[in-house]
Order: sequence, then C-alpha cells, then structure tokens
Amino acid sequence: MTWRCALVGLLVVLGAGGVQASPVSVYVASQGAGTLVALAPGPSVSASPVVVGRSPAQVAPGPNGLLYLTHPDARQISVFDARRGSLVRTFPVDGQPFGIAVSADGARLFVGDWAGDRVMRLSAETGALEGTVSVGKEPAALVLDRRGRLYVADRESRQVSVVNSLRLERIATIPVGEAPFALALDPTEDRLYVANVRSGTVSVIDTVASRTIATFAIGGMPYGVAVSPDGGLILVTNQQGGTLVVVDATDGMRRATVPVGRYPEGVVIAEASAYVANWFSDSVSVIDMATLRETARIAVPDGPRSLAVARGGDR
Amino acid sequence: MRLGVLTISLSLLSGAALAHGPTPQKVDQTIVIAAKPDAVWKVVGEFAGIDRWHPDVARSEGSGGNKSGGSRKVTLKSGGTLDEGLDEMDAAARSYSYRLSEPDLKGLPVSSYTATLTVSPEGDGSKVEWLGRFYRGDTGNEPPENLSDEAGKAAMNRYFADGLKGLKARVEGKPAP
Repeated sequence: MTWRCALVGLLVVLGAGGVQASPVSVYVASQGAGTLVALAPGPSVSASPVVVGRSPAQVAPGPNGLLYLTHPDARQISVFDARRGSLVRTFPVDGQPFGIAVSADGARLFVGDWAGDRVMRLSAETGALEGTVSVGKEPAALVLDRRGRLYVADRESRQVSVVNSLRLERIATIPVGEAPFALALDPTEDRLYVANVRSGTVSVIDTVASRTIATFAIGGMPYGVAVSPDGGLILVTNQQGGTLVVVDATDGMRRATVPVGRYPEGVVIAEASAYVANWFSDSVSVIDMATLRETARIAVPDGPRSLAVARGGDR
Repeated sequence: MRLGVLTISLSLLSGAALAHGPTPQKVDQTIVIAAKPDAVWKVVGEFAGIDRWHPDVARSEGSGGNKSGGSRKVTLKSGGTLDEGLDEMDAAARSYSYRLSEPDLKGLPVSSYTATLTVSPEGDGSKVEWLGRFYRGDTGNEPPENLSDEAGKAAMNRYFADGLKGLKARVEGKPAP
C-alpha cells in the first residue's frame, strides 16, 4: 500500500499505483456537533454520524484505518477506527491541540499546541508526551513529508516552521503571507502550498531550497488547500467568497471558480473528486475533478471544518 | 466589586488583538421587509452608512470608498468601537462581506469576525440575511463567562437582530422600536 498517512486532514492525495479497489472513505469532522461522519464513495448520502466528543477541529488519517482528531477546547485527542466504525480511545493533552499529523508507521502523533506556540510529539498508542519543539505563534496546519520533515503554519508569525521530526529541532523558518492557516504538499513533495487567510494568497514554497518562490493571488480568505494527484492543480477554499478556487500549479493562473456552500474550509481530493467542508452551510460539496463542477452537496452535522480520506474502511 | 474584576480582565485581554481561537461560532439573522430589494439596498448598501439604520450605532465614519479595501469605524451607543474592513462589495448581487479589523471587547465580546449581508427578493418585498463567523472574546481554554462562546453568540445575534429590525423600520418608514 502506498497510502501515505503523513498528511493532515486539510489535504489528502492518494498514492499513485496504490492497491486497487480498496474501499476509500472521506470523513468529515463537525466541530459544532462533535461528530465524525463517513461519506460513501461517489456519494449522495452519508452514513450515521458518530459522536467523537466536544468540538473536534482537525482530523488526520493514520495507517490501518485509524483517524486522529484534535479537540482544542476539551484538551483532548480522540482515535477513531474506520474499520470498526467506532471511537477506540481518547487521551488528554496538555495544551490546546489543533493541527495534527501522523508518522508513516502510525506510532507517533505530531500535534500543534495553538496557545502554547509549540508542537508536541505523542505516542499514538498511549498519548504519552515524548517531547516538544517551539514554533511560531498559533500553529495551525501541520504536514509531515516522507523524509520526516514536519511543516507547521505559524498563523500569527507569518511563517512556516520546518522541523526535523526525529530530533524535534526546528531547522528553518520560511516567511509567507499574512495568517498562514492550511498547508498542502504536492505529490513529489518538492512544493508546499500555503493558504494565507488575511492576505488572500497562496505562497508556493520550494521545499529543497526552503524558501517562498511565488505568491498566487486568490482573493477573500483562503482557509483550505489541496493539490491534484498529478500535481497540476491547486484547489483553494475562499471562505469569504463561498467558492473553491482552482489555479494552475505552475503559474497560478485561474482555471475555475466553483461556487460551493457558505464559509468553505477544509478540502481533500479522493479518486476523481474533491470534497469541500462548508462550515456555515453544514454540508460537503463534491466537485468532479475532470469538469471542475459541483456534482453533489451532502448534508452533514453542524460546523464541518476538516476532512480526511481513510483507506481500508468498511464503507 | 464584580464590575472591578471585569474591567481588569478586559484590560489584560486587549493585548491579544489578533488571537483567533480554535472554535468558530455562527451568527445568522434574517428579516423580511415590505419594500423592493433596490429600495432596501439603497439604505443598507452604503457600507459606512450603518448609522443611518442600526439603532445600536451612534455614528459611523467611512474611508477608502464603498468598495473592497474600504473601511468604517463604528461607534456604538454602548461606548465600544468596531473597526471593520470591507472585503467584497457586489452591488449587482446586493451583497457585501467584511471583517473586524481590531477587536474591542467593550463593543462586542468577540476577538474576531467576518460577516456577509445580502438583500434578495422575497415575494413582493425583500429578505435581508446577515450572517457571520466569529471567535469568542477569550480564545483560551477557560474563558470567563462574559467572554465565552455563549456570551459571544448572545451579543452577536442581538447586534445583528437589532440592526435588521432598525433597517426594516427605516425602510418601511416606521420609527425605530
């Protein structure tokens, strides 16, 4: 299986050449309702929501069909087993857990502490704190690459921190736009795209040189970003506009502006569709990647923000 | 002495101007007005003109024009000030979106918000929807009661509802309630 579990719920790309016909499920965490719900592949309806605890903010997939959710207001992480369709454990966290990434072997969690300006490394099994590393102010999204480099969007520091996840050392900081919130690596992992909420832009980072090489104008408030499986298109949710903006990865030229629900936030791509969590409208928009048009809108519980793709689930 | 404690906690928090909490909240208010959408838009569509129709507003000063990048400084009758920036003005769709630039917990007990106001046809008249996303006044894990999600929801919904009632009264030519 080439399924990569290293990405946060803001972005999931399915590995090319992966196991065929393995069931893929898109999951949506609703912060207001405190639920996680699975959308069937090519969906028109969703399954029954599962209560996961108060105010889940972000969800990230691990291996073996496990999903990890952060609950900043409850100082808690919950673990959901997609194959069993149920919550398997929760553990307390000392801080305000928000962004989350899972190591490739599923053994470790990297969790941003929103108010503590640090990233914690926890045992995925027990929740035990293994160490911390200081980053910028208000760490939002976290993304882990295959080399074990962790990228952190430091929302109130206008930068991305780059962390050696094994040694828990910050090795670089890269200036980006104002209020970076969401991150997405392209499939080759040589580009990192950063959604900047207040400047209305996407920063393009060269991950080899560790610097910003371009800034794409999006407008409004970009709150989520994903990259197409071929690396050619960048999908950005514009929360103010109620749209999914699609731009060319090479030059930032606009390919489409797709109206979705109100206050769209998280976006993921699974197989031939993109899924957008419409926070205000309590729905998920399904966008066909070939036509860049909305093909379905699925009602979900109150306040959906974050999505994750799990492989190996029952549904 | 409760008032004294409140004053101290407000002054301590005012330094965290840009702090967004992790849990956004919704505000959504709608009203039906017995007038054509264009007539309603004429009153509500001037971003800086909120003091013409919102009963809680003492005065409003605009700068930068009635377009993206423009702003208004709204002084409330209760004493607080809201510095708001216009992100999008779509007169054809009779809609605009804006955000709070600088929080003032005396005005509204929230640390940040974005909002959209839209006028649309409804039967022979109009429907005005004013909705938004905000974060509570204290974005830490143990907010005091006056800066909690519940306090923010109550204040934002009241402010939006009061405004829409005032707009309706103004457009329909009746005195404000």
